[in-house]
Amino acid sequence: MTETTKPEAHMGNSVGIGSEIYNKVLQHYYTEALLLDNLRLQEWGASLATDLKYTVPVRQTRTVQDIEASYIRSVQHMDDDYASIMGRIMRLSGKSAWSENPPSRTRRFVSNVQVFETDKPDEYASINYLLLTRNRFDDDFFDLIPSQRNDLLRAVEGGFQLVRREVLIDQAVLGTPNLSIFL
Amino acid sequence: MSITKGPVLRDGTPLSDLVDLEMREVKLRTLSDQEIYEIEQEKVFGKVWLLLGHDTEIPNPGDFVQRHMGDDSVIVARSRDGKVHVSLNVCPHRGMKVTTHESGNTQVHTCIYHGWAFKPNGEFLGSPVAEQCMHGSLRGKDELGLKQARVALYGGLIWATWNHDGPSFEEFLGDSKWYYDMLYTRTNKGLEVAGPPQRFIVRGNWKTAGEQSAADGFHTLTLHRWLGEVGNYKADSGKTQGSELTEEMYGAEVSSPHGHALRCINLARKIKKLTGKDASDLSVEEKLRALPPPGMTPDMVEQLAENLSPEQMQVMSWMPPQVGGMFPNVIFEFLYIPQSDGTVVGSLALHTYVPKGPDKLEFTNWIFVEKDTPPRLREQMIQQSVRLLGTSGMVEADDSDTWPHMTLASKGLQASKQSMKYQAIYETGAPEGWPGPGIINEGFTKDDPQWHWWKYWYELMMADD
Repeated sequence: MTETTKPEAHMGNSVGIGSEIYNKVLQHYYTEALLLDNLRLQEWGASLATDLKYTVPVRQTRTVQDIEASYIRSVQHMDDDYASIMGRIMRLSGKSAWSENPPSRTRRFVSNVQVFETDKPDEYASINYLLLTRNRFDDDFFDLIPSQRNDLLRAVEGGFQLVRREVLIDQAVLGTPNLSIFL
Repeated sequence: MSITKGPVLRDGTPLSDLVDLEMREVKLRTLSDQEIYEIEQEKVFGKVWLLLGHDTEIPNPGDFVQRHMGDDSVIVARSRDGKVHVSLNVCPHRGMKVTTHESGNTQVHTCIYHGWAFKPNGEFLGSPVAEQCMHGSLRGKDELGLKQARVALYGGLIWATWNHDGPSFEEFLGDSKWYYDMLYTRTNKGLEVAGPPQRFIVRGNWKTAGEQSAADGFHTLTLHRWLGEVGNYKADSGKTQGSELTEEMYGAEVSSPHGHALRCINLARKIKKLTGKDASDLSVEEKLRALPPPGMTPDMVEQLAENLSPEQMQVMSWMPPQVGGMFPNVIFEFLYIPQSDGTVVGSLALHTYVPKGPDKLEFTNWIFVEKDTPPRLREQMIQQSVRLLGTSGMVEADDSDTWPHMTLASKGLQASKQSMKYQAIYETGAPEGWPGPGIINEGFTKDDPQWHWWKYWYELMMADD
């Protein structure tokens, strides 16, 4: 019988909300959002592990019986490693990345953060929600990008590094014209 | 009373006022006018061949995907006999959408509203409680199937049209087919999709993307200049920034009276970098082995002779088609991307720009590999394509601002009367020794192929039914 207080028990031991580790992870996420929303990309880059894998699957509308097939990983919206993310940061920091020049005004709302131990003592898994609002030019509307993030964090001196991120966006046809921004 | 040829818009403007054939200009009004959009649904999307996907997306009987022809949803399905069918995804009973999910496998498509059931080929099987005969007796079952589009397969690519009496797919491609064969029918096993397509909305009129694909070379230097500044075409030290990218502007461009376009880009410099030799010192075979077509390995090169003519192979080794369009709303990209270690890795992609009203398009991006592309190269190609093209593409993301700006601009009254200009005109003709058919011009990229795209759009819009 599923324990309603521990629906993600398959993930490993839960790091309790309010515990020291949990608070540090939460602080990491708030700092990350602040850096990205304020275009401090190099500083965000410094929080990434060199063995980073960063993906954003494609979604399809499928039957409820076939829900796992609604996540497409053969071709994804983003499929990056440490080097390619650094390349993206270099491009965005240059003068000719027009898709982000003028830059989008973004706000990253991180919530529903859950943290779990893994079989490595210095690594933690996290499931968290991201709601990103995006606005450009004179648009009187916001692009909304809500998602679930499946993360792997590694504790290092002074904080955490992102080792793995998979972002599951809640749309089959994205309503935003590109992912030039980091989720 | 004067008789105006072609459509006349509600405010009395003849469509012919919007296209200046002498000056090669098209009024911006075409990019946001609701009425023009409606006319296009009939005269363009209702008449020509449209790209819907690839048969490797539906390999097994019963497999289907849901796609669009203009504003109409269609089911693209493989029936038990292996044939591909394209059916209007609207129930003949009361207009409900028959198949509501994007992809799957079924031998029976059942409408959830009243249970009308259809085979993958659109045939009406019947409705529940058969003896009550819900469909009545005024129309026979044979009249109550899903409306069928006419289908053509080309290199596995699935094309369809509502124009059952119109030109064949080969007639639609015309002379351009000689070039597209080098992309889509070059190997024995052929291409396959790497997965389902990426889909996202760009708030621009479909034609802003369609005309750019057919085939705007100039914009690479400026809109995509990051390639020459920090990206794959960054100049080695000692050379001016952007010079490597400028070299990609030289080649031969194929224009078509049906709006198809191919930019055939010279490979000589890439071959020199890889082999240390001048292209003129190497045979066709040697060049193809030194720098195989994107997605192919040197040992696959021998298949080209089995599928293409010596003349086609000559062009592939010299100035292969790398980017361009297929009328009305398709871009192909068969790219040779330089790597930091001096090698070249290919990326193959096709996009359609599906109209969603005059203000929006759906960008649908398929990534391809050869069925025989070895696993490691396949992985590299897919990753590279995702990183450069499509949703998070560092190259294509920069296109996704221009199209909305143009569309928004065209809503201003003054701007709507301003024109898009195609006045960089070739004066060269085909390169010496060019063995291929069609309208060919060599040198630095110009506007001719795009102008031909608009001329065909205009021809279709002005045609009587």
